[in-house]
Amino acid sequence: MSKRLRVALLLAGAGLLAVAALADPLPPDATYRPLPTLPFDAVKALDEAQKPQVMQRQQALLEQRYDLSNRPIANVIMSGGRKPVQGGVRVKLPAGVTWDSLSAMSPDEIRERGLLPAGFIPLPHVKQATGGQVFPNQQIDEVGRQELRNIRRFDVDFDLPDRFTPEFPPPIFLTTHPELGDVSHGQLLTIKNYYQLMVGLLTPVQMEGLRLLLTPFPQEEFNQTEDRKSSDQSLGVTCLDCHANFHTNAAFHLTPDVRPQAARFRLDTVSLRGMFNQQIHGSKRSLRSVEDFTQFEQRTAYFNGDHVSAQRKGVNLPDRFDQVPMMAQMQNIIDFPPAPKLNPLGRLDPSKATQQELAGEQVFLGKGQCGQCHTPQTSFLDNNMHDLKLERFYNIGQTVNGLVALPDGSIKTLTLRGIKDSPPYLHDGRLLTLADTVEFFNLVLGLKLTQEEKDSLVAYMLTL
Amino acid sequence: MNRFVAFASLAVALLAPPALAQSTNPASPAPGNPGGMPPGTKQSAPGVPAPRQTNQPDLAFIHAATASGIAEVEFGKLAAQKASGRAVKEFAQRMIRDHGAANDRLSALAKAGGIAPADRPNEEHKAMRVRLEQSDGAQFDHAYIQGQIIEHQKAAQLLQYEIGSGENAELKNFASDVLPTVLSHLRMAQAIAMEMAQQRQAEVPPGDREKRK
Repeated sequence: MSKRLRVALLLAGAGLLAVAALADPLPPDATYRPLPTLPFDAVKALDEAQKPQVMQRQQALLEQRYDLSNRPIANVIMSGGRKPVQGGVRVKLPAGVTWDSLSAMSPDEIRERGLLPAGFIPLPHVKQATGGQVFPNQQIDEVGRQELRNIRRFDVDFDLPDRFTPEFPPPIFLTTHPELGDVSHGQLLTIKNYYQLMVGLLTPVQMEGLRLLLTPFPQEEFNQTEDRKSSDQSLGVTCLDCHANFHTNAAFHLTPDVRPQAARFRLDTVSLRGMFNQQIHGSKRSLRSVEDFTQFEQRTAYFNGDHVSAQRKGVNLPDRFDQVPMMAQMQNIIDFPPAPKLNPLGRLDPSKATQQELAGEQVFLGKGQCGQCHTPQTSFLDNNMHDLKLERFYNIGQTVNGLVALPDGSIKTLTLRGIKDSPPYLHDGRLLTLADTVEFFNLVLGLKLTQEEKDSLVAYMLTL
Repeated sequence: MNRFVAFASLAVALLAPPALAQSTNPASPAPGNPGGMPPGTKQSAPGVPAPRQTNQPDLAFIHAATASGIAEVEFGKLAAQKASGRAVKEFAQRMIRDHGAANDRLSALAKAGGIAPADRPNEEHKAMRVRLEQSDGAQFDHAYIQGQIIEHQKAAQLLQYEIGSGENAELKNFASDVLPTVLSHLRMAQAIAMEMAQQRQAEVPPGDREKRK
């Protein structure tokens, strides 16, 4: 047989395989949300009975991975002046290694010896099989107090200690009124108070956008149907229930972009500060405008990227020509917190910064390579997605609390402006402090930073 | 030696830890979403089906996984005889060993749960077998490895499906145990396929290379 004929036959064989592979698919609930089979009361009773064990499992996981103690950095406070910033490396090391000895090993050696600190691998949802939005108690309580709307779940609670979440309620800075500073009056923006807080500050279009961002709509866990996780028939959730005061309250969810359920990674709510400079949206979706994102969140954040489920529970379709642009215009005037030590190009002003902060900036732009993606001049963004290839350091496929640890793939670069206000860190919140992020990138990028360089990087990031 | 390894892994595999579903250890199977259980399911703990009480995801998983496991061993035996490349032969031996042990463990779990496992490969596997029987030499190696890549991709998704959607703790535990191995098989098969492709390219005279595009 001639080689060319053989190649042709091989290609024909591959074609057959491809067609045949369609013949034996997974069940539909591997992609679509299944309809519930039990009545609401029965599911609720089972969920409530499981809850103590569910919470203990996640607590055990957090304690295995992290030092959760209260160790704030002296004299550092978040931008609203309401909460200290936790310091120190909180990810626990495996027995027998130090951060320095670990960073001297090759990725292969770390993987083969199973030495990657568990806190560096993806963080599971508190109940992976169910997933869905989970709000911190402060948000639940304040929404309940102001609106009499219930966003508490009966099957799970928020898992991270309060000290590792952003201050609450977060301050609000407007690009249209830099002279005013925080305009939140120390309150959480809700449908009940937004008008009195914002009239005279916003345009009519911005005001209408804000109203829509604060209006509850049905969501996968909060709706009228038997397939919900709130005790009462719920009015739903609002955009700002997670993006509290346009920042974040560390509410979490599962990515809408991956199936099946066990492979969906956790999502820590991202801040909307500096939205005006962000060119891609969604950690995986890379949507090209905040208008696209705002419109489609009604199927994704609200319904796990399942338009079929959304249709059943009550989908909200914001009008693209009128409502979506107003929502976008409101989001696009949310500013970063002031950074008095940065000059207009995002670089430290040597007359204001300390020696350690300046040294940190040098590491950031040089040996640390942080500035390659977090470009100071463009709000510490590069408007790209990157793959850190963490799977070089561990064997993929292990299951922890229902989450299968798989390669993260490409994830969008997140801004570092105002970063001290935004714990926990990385897209899934797996790192609790800025010092953790330094150890993470020191290993992943093979930087071999000294302790002095690491400390200066943290000091620098606190100025941003 | 191989038989000893298979026996040892089977023995370990059958010693399932007791009361898996009650565990607060994050490494143990996580509770499922109880909303998916059929009405009237007897439970050993809240949301955990009692033995011999299963649901649609567990049934679908057992059926698909056992059919695939049987096919893997069959294809492996065929490839151990017919493959011409050394790497392909070694891969086939490993499939016989690993999938044989996994099949025994899964069949035992299925029987303990009162579910009949599949007793033969599915139609797609049968078609694959016909193709493999009709090919020889490098063509066989290519068909086998390409088939293995797809089969392991599907197995990885099936195991993840059970981990997320299944209710039976032992089955979920099985899926969690096996998934890293299946992913490592997938990487091995992909590496062998790439090596074979490079080898084929090297065999084509330089003048013909452009035309092949």
